[in-house]
Amino acid sequence: MRTGYIISLVLFFPLLVVQTTIIPLVEINGIIPDLIMILLVYYAIKYGQVYGTVLGFVYGFFFDLITGSLLGSVMFSKTLTGFIAGYFSNENKRDYYLSSYIFPLIILLCATIDSYVFSFFSTIELSRNIFISFFEQGLFPGIYTAVISTAVIIFNPRKSFG
Amino acid sequence: MFRFISKFWESFKEYIILSVLLITSLIILSLNQKPEVKKVRSAAFGSFAAITTIVSDVIDISKIKSENNRLRRVNAELMIQVNKLREYGVINENLKKLIGLRDSLDYPLVPASVVSKALTKSQETITINVGSREKIRPGMPVINDQGLVGIVYSTSEDFAIIRTLKNFDLKLTVKDERSRIDGIMKWNGDELVIIDVPKTYDVEPGDRIITSDLSSIISIPIPVGIVAGISNIETGIFNQVRIKPFIDFASIEYVFVVGIVPSKQKNDLELNFYNRE
Repeated sequence: MRTGYIISLVLFFPLLVVQTTIIPLVEINGIIPDLIMILLVYYAIKYGQVYGTVLGFVYGFFFDLITGSLLGSVMFSKTLTGFIAGYFSNENKRDYYLSSYIFPLIILLCATIDSYVFSFFSTIELSRNIFISFFEQGLFPGIYTAVISTAVIIFNPRKSFG
Repeated sequence: MFRFISKFWESFKEYIILSVLLITSLIILSLNQKPEVKKVRSAAFGSFAAITTIVSDVIDISKIKSENNRLRRVNAELMIQVNKLREYGVINENLKKLIGLRDSLDYPLVPASVVSKALTKSQETITINVGSREKIRPGMPVINDQGLVGIVYSTSEDFAIIRTLKNFDLKLTVKDERSRIDGIMKWNGDELVIIDVPKTYDVEPGDRIITSDLSSIISIPIPVGIVAGISNIETGIFNQVRIKPFIDFASIEYVFVVGIVPSKQKNDLELNFYNRE
């Protein structure tokens, strides 16, 4: 289990390299999938709510520090998302969630909330319609990330990643 | 008492940890402008950018051929424009001599390539491979052959973070090149807009928008975009002008940093004007 904790931290950095160099090439109208979110949700389901919350905090901290966004903004949204993803951590259903269609649905929920909460730190555009903002800033990025996360189900080796 | 605390912790530890971490995030949010935080950030993204440089170099190799073809075409078009401008320049010099006008300075251009991008719908930043070693400073404008890309936000020794025009924090004074009308342009999360433009102002779709010399951030004229449309707001006396930028932010690879910073003297004068003491 300790190996799993370390792997979850070590995997973050190469994934962040991919997120900032290769992922922008597949953007659609300014929307890109969030690979860090997929990693966070995976480990939150695997190791529980407390671990997911703390891992979200750590991921958000490094993400803010490295990419130049407002320090604390991604921290806040990823902490919240790690907490929500941890709700789905259940000893009996863990393997089922991580290897079935449920995983992309969890990703959709978490990525939508993450993107939408993050958008509040980037704007105080009160004149914008809150529902339109939800679709543009929250749901569409969430859908894209959920689609990419189906690769996890296809390639999920059950006994690896700690 | 201890049992109560222990029981309380067991029942609510997830919520307690969540609250503590969220409050910590909010506290850190309030510390963003501290010089120590900026130093740590510079060191962090400088180290990370050194790694992303390697990956982006590999990706760039695959695009070199198409980029070369595009640049050859741009070169040819620019050659024609330069010849025209050369003629205008000669005429301009003669006229300036006649009226004794002081000439504008040449600004140094520092070439750079993009090593990583952080794209979200509301905020875009890019990292380039030049920094304080090449005398890059926060506040310098960043351009490419098409127009304005953004402003330098933070620097380390070898790298710099650029906030592009697609960023809520960036508000820029721009000018309609045809009608010479000034306005404030910003990113509203979906598109670039010039806000609070009086309905009587002469702005039409297709007009070229450039940076205004009134801007304290960028006081030299740099192309920004064209007017895509005017949102006619029925109530009130102002319109909103939608701008289509010249830059395709998703495909930026090579940029130039213009070696100017906001004029402190100009800013101080403006502050004094509004200082009612």
